[in-house]
Amino acid sequence: MRIATNTIYNLSVSSINRQQADLLKTQQQISANRRVLTASDDPVAASRVLEISQADAINTQYGVNAQTASGRLAQTESTLGRIGDLLQAVRQNAVTAGNGSFTASDRASVAQDVQAMYDELLSVANSTDGEGNYLFSGFQTDVTPFAPSAAGVQYLGDDGQRLVQVASGRQIAVSESGADVFMRVRASNGTFTVSAPPANTGSAVYTQGTVTDPTAITGHQYQIVFTVTGTGTTAVTTYDVNDVTAGTTVATAQPYTSGGAIAFDGMSLQVQGAPASGDVVQIDPSKDQDIFKTISKLVTALQGAADDPASNARLQNSLNDAIANLDQALDSVNSVRAGVGTRMRETDDLQSSSDDLSVQYKQNISNLQDLDYAKAVSDLVQQQNNLQAAQKTFLQTAQLSIFNFL
Amino acid sequence: MATNIFSIGISGLQAAQAGLVTAGHNIANANTPGYTRQEVDYTNAIPTASGSGFFGNGVDTVTVRRLYSQFLTSEVLSASTQSNALDSYYSQIQQLDNLVADPSAGLSPALQDFFTAVQGVAATPNVASARQAMLSSAQALKSRFDVIDQRIQDLRDGVNEDVGATAQEITNYAGQIADLNQRIIVARSAAGGQPPNDLMDQRDQLVAQLNKDVKATIVVQDDGAYNVFIGSGQPLVAGVQAYTVTTLRDPLDPTKVTIGYKTPSGVVQLPEASLTGGKLGGLLSFRNQTLDPAQNALGRVAAALAQTFNAQLRLGQDLNGQPGTDLFSIGTPRVTPSTNNTGNATIAGAFDPANVGALTTSDYRLTFDGTNYALTRLSDGNVRSFATLPQNVDGFTLSLASGAAVAGDTFLIRPTVDGAQSFDVALTDPSKIAAAAPVRTSQGTANTGTGKVSAGVVNALNANLQQPVTITFTSPTTFDVTGTGTGNPTGVTYTPGQDITFNGWTIQISGTPAAGDTFGVGPNSGGTGDNRNALLLAGLQTQKILDGGTASYQGAYAAFVSDVGTQTRQLQVTSSAQAAVLEQATTAQQAQSGVSLDEEAANLIRFQQAYQASGKVLQIASTLFDTLLALGNNT
Repeated sequence: MRIATNTIYNLSVSSINRQQADLLKTQQQISANRRVLTASDDPVAASRVLEISQADAINTQYGVNAQTASGRLAQTESTLGRIGDLLQAVRQNAVTAGNGSFTASDRASVAQDVQAMYDELLSVANSTDGEGNYLFSGFQTDVTPFAPSAAGVQYLGDDGQRLVQVASGRQIAVSESGADVFMRVRASNGTFTVSAPPANTGSAVYTQGTVTDPTAITGHQYQIVFTVTGTGTTAVTTYDVNDVTAGTTVATAQPYTSGGAIAFDGMSLQVQGAPASGDVVQIDPSKDQDIFKTISKLVTALQGAADDPASNARLQNSLNDAIANLDQALDSVNSVRAGVGTRMRETDDLQSSSDDLSVQYKQNISNLQDLDYAKAVSDLVQQQNNLQAAQKTFLQTAQLSIFNFL
Repeated sequence: MATNIFSIGISGLQAAQAGLVTAGHNIANANTPGYTRQEVDYTNAIPTASGSGFFGNGVDTVTVRRLYSQFLTSEVLSASTQSNALDSYYSQIQQLDNLVADPSAGLSPALQDFFTAVQGVAATPNVASARQAMLSSAQALKSRFDVIDQRIQDLRDGVNEDVGATAQEITNYAGQIADLNQRIIVARSAAGGQPPNDLMDQRDQLVAQLNKDVKATIVVQDDGAYNVFIGSGQPLVAGVQAYTVTTLRDPLDPTKVTIGYKTPSGVVQLPEASLTGGKLGGLLSFRNQTLDPAQNALGRVAAALAQTFNAQLRLGQDLNGQPGTDLFSIGTPRVTPSTNNTGNATIAGAFDPANVGALTTSDYRLTFDGTNYALTRLSDGNVRSFATLPQNVDGFTLSLASGAAVAGDTFLIRPTVDGAQSFDVALTDPSKIAAAAPVRTSQGTANTGTGKVSAGVVNALNANLQQPVTITFTSPTTFDVTGTGTGNPTGVTYTPGQDITFNGWTIQISGTPAAGDTFGVGPNSGGTGDNRNALLLAGLQTQKILDGGTASYQGAYAAFVSDVGTQTRQLQVTSSAQAAVLEQATTAQQAQSGVSLDEEAANLIRFQQAYQASGKVLQIASTLFDTLLALGNNT
């Protein structure tokens, strides 16, 4: 084949150009330590890197969120702990005040103690987080949630729970509605309440009662009306049970024994002592009674008790009510606290899994776009050699000419 | 007889001289672009007949000939026009490629920072600094959209300038080729039909340069002139007549400088699809196949982000308890009437926020035939016809703003091209970011059942959204609803966990409510700590919104990057493959037509020796003649 002199030059130069371009590319890759310098180097990897880096950024954000959530929950948790302690102390006082040897002044000093705890509880319920947001006011973080008023403590917050996104598809509640903690506490045993009107003159003391058959519970209001016939040693006490809501009589003229069980419609309670004729024990479906009301009723009961049998019975009943209600309150606080604790553990788990995931993502991104250093350096050396060979052979080829001999 | 030997010697001398001259010319032009090596054609002169046979009369120099192959040359031309098209496309797209995937310059980091800030607001909805950070990062996102769009705009301006410059070059080449046609015809006839080789080389070189600008077809005429055609057969040179290629604004898209062809009746637009090959073909392909879709793809991300974000914000409530307002502003689809339209219709485009997922990256052409409109999606040729406007299509709405269209009127609709450029931040007051939901639920304080109500979700704007609504259970399985806008239904059957939807919100009640229990939905006044809407906003980051619900914002952007990357990669491969084809074609053509210095060196020696030999012939003839003269002296 005939070769034009220019062809020798052109081909050699374009080959050297190509090799220089390859060499430069490898050199750039090494200096940037990335295999994929532009999208065209590996379009699939480039777009995958974008997607994974977003996933990584989101994951990091979830980790930060989990940390935030953890901090908030820890604060709520310790506040709930303090509330539990206070409730426990109030309960202790209620039990102590039931001591038969206590005088009115003893009870008055207990009442003072309890009042102090009440005040502290109110201030704890109104506590704020580091940013000045009320812990228990729902969405209205700028509103003092618990405000004392003539009608008792009003809840001014709402039922909102603030959520934090801690994983894709998982939002974790970091606040508790004050209504759940303080306001929505079922009175007495949680199903029905037992009460005695102040007009009672006897010394009957009732227990809070228990549910014996949940399926038989009607949710109606009942009255147990005592009737005493005869006097002195011949006195016989009987009671009727009336279903006030339905307007029916459940039982009539049942013989009364102090401490004996009175059972009807799935409920059972005991009445002790000597009810007077016409005394009534009323049973209502259990309603919510807020913790503050429970405590303030306890204070009132402790302050106002005289030393006669009817008053003693009233005090005893009030103390029993208070203890039952405080137990309910403790249950309520503890169950909220348990929920918070579970979520704290979850956020801790999420933080560590977020860290693991982040390592994974970074590994993926690195696999997609980073350079295999050893291979790149070996490529570089090979390309250098190729270029040098091309340059040398070009020089030698170009020197060959007949004109050298003319 | 003997007298003839002189003329034989002289013919040999002249022939050798011609050979030396030609070899010298070849050597001199070894590096001249477009030069075709020349050879002298010899023939033996007509012999003289005699009784003793034919005696030769030396050599005749017939002509000087180019070693030119029409076939090999046209191979080089077609390889070169292809190669130049791919090279110019590649060098343009490389700039886009460098821009989009750069980890620090692409859209991705700004998008991620923005959503991080949204998460910040979700975590601390009533902290002013978090809200300010969200506004600032929204600004950063806007300026990143701007920077990329501006870069695309720069590339577009560059293409427009290059198209203009190339059109100018093409016209120049046309003039020079016509001029050379003229000189070649004259020279040929003056030299009695001998080819003016060097003029022909110059003309071929001009044709080669023209082909580097645009693919041109050559037809050789009987008189040796070239007729040159471009596009779909428009004559650029016809004999000695040259035509003018000029630029004009695309009648449908004034931002585009496109190629026009001057005719006596005015400038006509050459269809861009017919102008393939060469730098011009590469530029037009880049603009139509890469730049427009790229700008559309970027704009689509911006338009979708703005619309979905705003829609969610409007369902929320700001820190002051007011309904949410737009964070972003976005322009409208660009509708351009053709400058050739005869009707006075103004078509208005608007985005259709309910169908963001249907937005495409394509442009559309709307034509009116007198009764019906036909809307053609340019990416795939899909046509939809309708008789009236407005119409909702592919995530945007077209309506007749004023006037009336006349048959033949055409409009170009570019829904997302301005998306990135018109994307802006409309909010300046951080407290106006709607992080909260406008309603909240409550449960009655005297409830005796175990029913629980969910926090509630707002699905739609409704005049009665914040009207207090009470749900009162009349039995554990039925409830009544009271409140403005609800129609106060009674005796609704209760199913735990089922959606209860009124006035634009949805709640669920679960558990076992008792008769008399109440649940309320009402305004979320003072709900400064509520982050429900912020959580939903943050959730948009991963929500598959685009492409009919298959791609997130980032996913759509990644697909765009991948598209640009793939195209660049393909061009890199095809342009280097085409360069190899060109190299081979050139090598083959040069093997025939290129100058080999070694060969010319050999020729020099050959003709030098021939010259010396012919000189010797003359010397001997002279000696012979002297012998004859000496004969007379002796007698």
